[in-house]
Amino acid sequence: MLSLDLLPHSLTLATVLIILLKVVVIFVLGLVGTMLMVWFERKVISGMQNRIGPNKAGPWGLLQTLADGVKLFFKEDLIPDKSDRFVFKMAPFLAFVPAFLVWSVIPLGGDFSGGRDGSFSMFGHRTWMQLADPPIGILLVLALSSIAVYGVMLAGWSSGSKYPLLGSVRASAQMISYEAALGLSLAAVILVSGTLSTHGIVLGQSSVSRWSVIATGLLPFIVFMIAATAELNRPPFDLVEAESELVSGFNTEYSSIRFALFYLAEFMNTITMSGIIVTLFFGGPQPVRFDIGSLHVDPNLHLGVLSGTVWFLLKLLVFLYIYVWLRATLPRLRYDQLMNLGWKLLIPVALWWFIVLAALRIGDERTPRWNKGVVLAIGAAVFIAGATLLVVANGVARRNREREGAMF
Amino acid sequence: MISALVASDFATPHVDYHALAPEIVLGVGICLLIVLDLFLAESRKWLVSTVAGLILLGAVLPVVTLGVIGSDVRSMFDGRYVIDNFSLVLKALFLLSGYVVVLMSSRDTEERTPYQGEYYTLLLTSIMGMVMMASARDLVSVFVALEFLSIPAYMLAAWRKRDSKSNEAGMKYFLLGVFASAVMLYGMSLLYGVTGSTRLVDIGQAVTGTDHLVGVQVLGIVFVIVGFAFKVSAVPFHTWAPDVYQGAPTPITAFLSVASKAAGFVALSLLVFLAFPAAKSVYEPFLWVLAAVTITVGNLLALKQKNIVRMLAYSSVSQGGFILMPLAVAGTGDARTSLRAVVVYLIIYAATNLGAFAVVMAVSRKTHSGEIASYGGLFNYAPGLAAVMTLFLASLAGIPPFGGWYAKFGAFKAVLEARTGAAYTLAVIAAVNTVVSAAYYITLMREMWMKPAPDGDESPVRVPRNLVAALVITGVATLAFGVLPGFSGYGAITGLAGAFGR
Amino acid sequence: MDILVFVCAAAMILCGALGVVTLRHPVHAALSLVLTLFGVAVLFVAQNAHFLAVAQVIVYAGAIVVLFLFVIMLLGVDRVEDLHAEPFKVQRPLAIVSGVALAGLLIAAVVASQHTNVAARGAGLPGVNPVRNDLHDGNIVALSKDLFSGHVLAFELTSVLLVIAVVATVLLARRSRGIDAAPTDGQAT
Repeated sequence: MLSLDLLPHSLTLATVLIILLKVVVIFVLGLVGTMLMVWFERKVISGMQNRIGPNKAGPWGLLQTLADGVKLFFKEDLIPDKSDRFVFKMAPFLAFVPAFLVWSVIPLGGDFSGGRDGSFSMFGHRTWMQLADPPIGILLVLALSSIAVYGVMLAGWSSGSKYPLLGSVRASAQMISYEAALGLSLAAVILVSGTLSTHGIVLGQSSVSRWSVIATGLLPFIVFMIAATAELNRPPFDLVEAESELVSGFNTEYSSIRFALFYLAEFMNTITMSGIIVTLFFGGPQPVRFDIGSLHVDPNLHLGVLSGTVWFLLKLLVFLYIYVWLRATLPRLRYDQLMNLGWKLLIPVALWWFIVLAALRIGDERTPRWNKGVVLAIGAAVFIAGATLLVVANGVARRNREREGAMF
Repeated sequence: MISALVASDFATPHVDYHALAPEIVLGVGICLLIVLDLFLAESRKWLVSTVAGLILLGAVLPVVTLGVIGSDVRSMFDGRYVIDNFSLVLKALFLLSGYVVVLMSSRDTEERTPYQGEYYTLLLTSIMGMVMMASARDLVSVFVALEFLSIPAYMLAAWRKRDSKSNEAGMKYFLLGVFASAVMLYGMSLLYGVTGSTRLVDIGQAVTGTDHLVGVQVLGIVFVIVGFAFKVSAVPFHTWAPDVYQGAPTPITAFLSVASKAAGFVALSLLVFLAFPAAKSVYEPFLWVLAAVTITVGNLLALKQKNIVRMLAYSSVSQGGFILMPLAVAGTGDARTSLRAVVVYLIIYAATNLGAFAVVMAVSRKTHSGEIASYGGLFNYAPGLAAVMTLFLASLAGIPPFGGWYAKFGAFKAVLEARTGAAYTLAVIAAVNTVVSAAYYITLMREMWMKPAPDGDESPVRVPRNLVAALVITGVATLAFGVLPGFSGYGAITGLAGAFGR
Repeated sequence: MDILVFVCAAAMILCGALGVVTLRHPVHAALSLVLTLFGVAVLFVAQNAHFLAVAQVIVYAGAIVVLFLFVIMLLGVDRVEDLHAEPFKVQRPLAIVSGVALAGLLIAAVVASQHTNVAARGAGLPGVNPVRNDLHDGNIVALSKDLFSGHVLAFELTSVLLVIAVVATVLLARRSRGIDAAPTDGQAT
């Protein structure tokens, strides 16, 4: 059937081949995509800053990343004296591997036009353009992103030097703080789609009005976008590697191929995170189909299996561009601003909106349906009460701190 | 138990709000306290203790109405949460002893700590865990209740942050407490593994101590009991108790030695009577040894103490042994008598011990010392306090007509009804120890009545009003239980729903 | 296949657990703990309990051990401990003996119970219905149903407990000048 089973009785040559093929394709695409992403970022930023950017290696400088990679590969590999050698060597892989693994659950294509479910036939098996579709799907992404913390954290600690340590302490605090907001906005999507499987989430978003970004009321998307940027340690949340304060943050002591792994992981994470945003909120490889009232738009690219991939890439590019754009324009936050934003704004708002969504959902299932306006009004009242309490609490806390001379 | 699993068959669980009212009042009260603390100016913080006391009394109200209206058993969530007479009596006990602790604290915390709101919030949470424990009939609820009552208590033990003794108390209590939780959780997982259910009654049917799973069953039972033995500070798991009792603020010491211990015994009784009734060959010898060792070691160590709080700590260890006694014969003897003995002992011990600690607090306001020697001449300058303390000490020693004798009488009766050699031996050990224990109680009495004040300072003790109230409540209770044993309606306590059914 | 997965995961768990105890360096010990947690997660997956596996990774490996490391790094206790000071000489051999004895006891208990053939006892353990695997996420559905029907009270009250734990932690961590520096003697100590 559709889900490939690794139990011995179904382990035929064809299934092994399909899986191997998917793994290889994803691996290669991931690496090439990252290479292009680095080029894309440098090119776009230079455009925004009225520079030319890389233009020597290859046509339009496309091979610049490859050249950089070769250079890094042949550089001397330095390991600081005071470092913890085993952990120092392990850290780059801990950062790099999760970045790759996230690809395994993202639906990358398939023909969804005209209400098809995106499956296609290969060696006599129906399968999807997706390496795996475990029942816990999207939670795997959260799990991997929490593993990725280790890479950054251990890299900074094992360097045996002050700046990297500060960087890694910042990183772990930041990633843990924003994971909560990330998870809460994710919960809103899961509430609406009713499944954790990424393929299921994509299937549910068959037209623009059913895209999660609209179905969940935009707020979870905004929170997710901000939290994701913070998870990625990208500007304006790149305090981890704030060059004006920490030299280069957690990777200061790294050189050669180990540094390259961190560098790659960072850009690959940007791509995967954009992929996740597209999957969760914008229908993944689904075509942009309108189905509102009398307006029916059902674009069909007539590319068969690849049409989904094209849609996915188009949507992906938008978010990649946004990330680069953010980097080029926004100044870096201060550390306390970062923490305040995460704990005192994003988490409460995400939680509140999740509860409102749940209330609306319950109201729809009751036999005399609840009036949506009333539910929203009560939600607004709860929000005002909660916000007032939060403001008062903050005020009291500040007063107490000043009076007691407390350190925090 | 995992029921059938199709998406459509989810039924909203039935919630009996009247039965849950004590928990709801407490839960709402806790949130209310946190918010109230936010809006109160520093000069009006005393309101917090008043409100905390009112919340506790408010939670007693539904317990009373539940007891009066409809005496039948209310069971919720597939029998995982049960309100019966047993749980109602104990809920009332927890709430009222909590109220006495609030009375004892209000003056104490006003003078010493800026964090009053948090203090009472933590206290109420701990009490809520105990209230929950009385109704829990499921391993998960039992464990959640246990953590509920322990986690705030760890913090409360370390309340005086600048005092290294208090820090030591909090640290020791925390480390040993979580270790005990871990051991117990391992035991629970084994029990769940061999029975496939977390409900105590299901476990009671499956754990027979006879079939081929007996090895794992025994380990599960022993580990769970060991976990709670830590909580009730039974020897050899008692090592934390004296240090914690000495380091924690006195009201918290009273709270830990009474309410927290009672909650541990409630859980032990639930397990013995509901989860392991068929495995008496496993738990009885184990509890027998625990009881005998606890009574003896607690007493011998109490004899040597110079500090009154440490003395009371070891005395409470030894009293715990007396409460274990009926449980050790619960299977061979009459289960009803045993349960009744445990509950009666818990109630009387709570009143007496809380009272004793209240006196300790009152006296230390003047003497600023915890040495037993500093009680010299108490009768001369504070005859009232000396008289009440004598009442409590006599009750602890088991001298009629004060409450303690009736409690001890019940425990002995339960043991003797078992009519086995082991039971008789245990009774003899306990009897010898009762005599030994009288020695240190009487030493303190002699100090108060006969000796002169050590520093010649005989100015009267100023006892704040709330301490007086606490002393009156506990004193009257101690006397009343002793003089009129029938008055508290003990007959009703035998109803532990689901037990004795076989 | 099943036995292979089990052996690998069990080896991971045991190595990690031994590492936690024997490694002298706190950070290495914490990392060994991560290995153990991953082993447990693998076992969960082998039992088709995907949700538990991922929760294990997110909560324990992703948050709790990270916080351990965070504290180790911030407090600067990331040094090898000197474990040669011994208040009681007999403590260590005694601990080894009792540890080995306990392990022996556990193994003996499990070995004694191995004749229990689940199939021979009918439908497995009493009270446990097997989770339906024909639903794609039957496991999660089963778990949430159990949580929100039978255990709903314990589940909801746990949230209160978490709030209180936060209150207690903030209080414990708070360091103020002046206020509680006042002498706190006079207690019955």
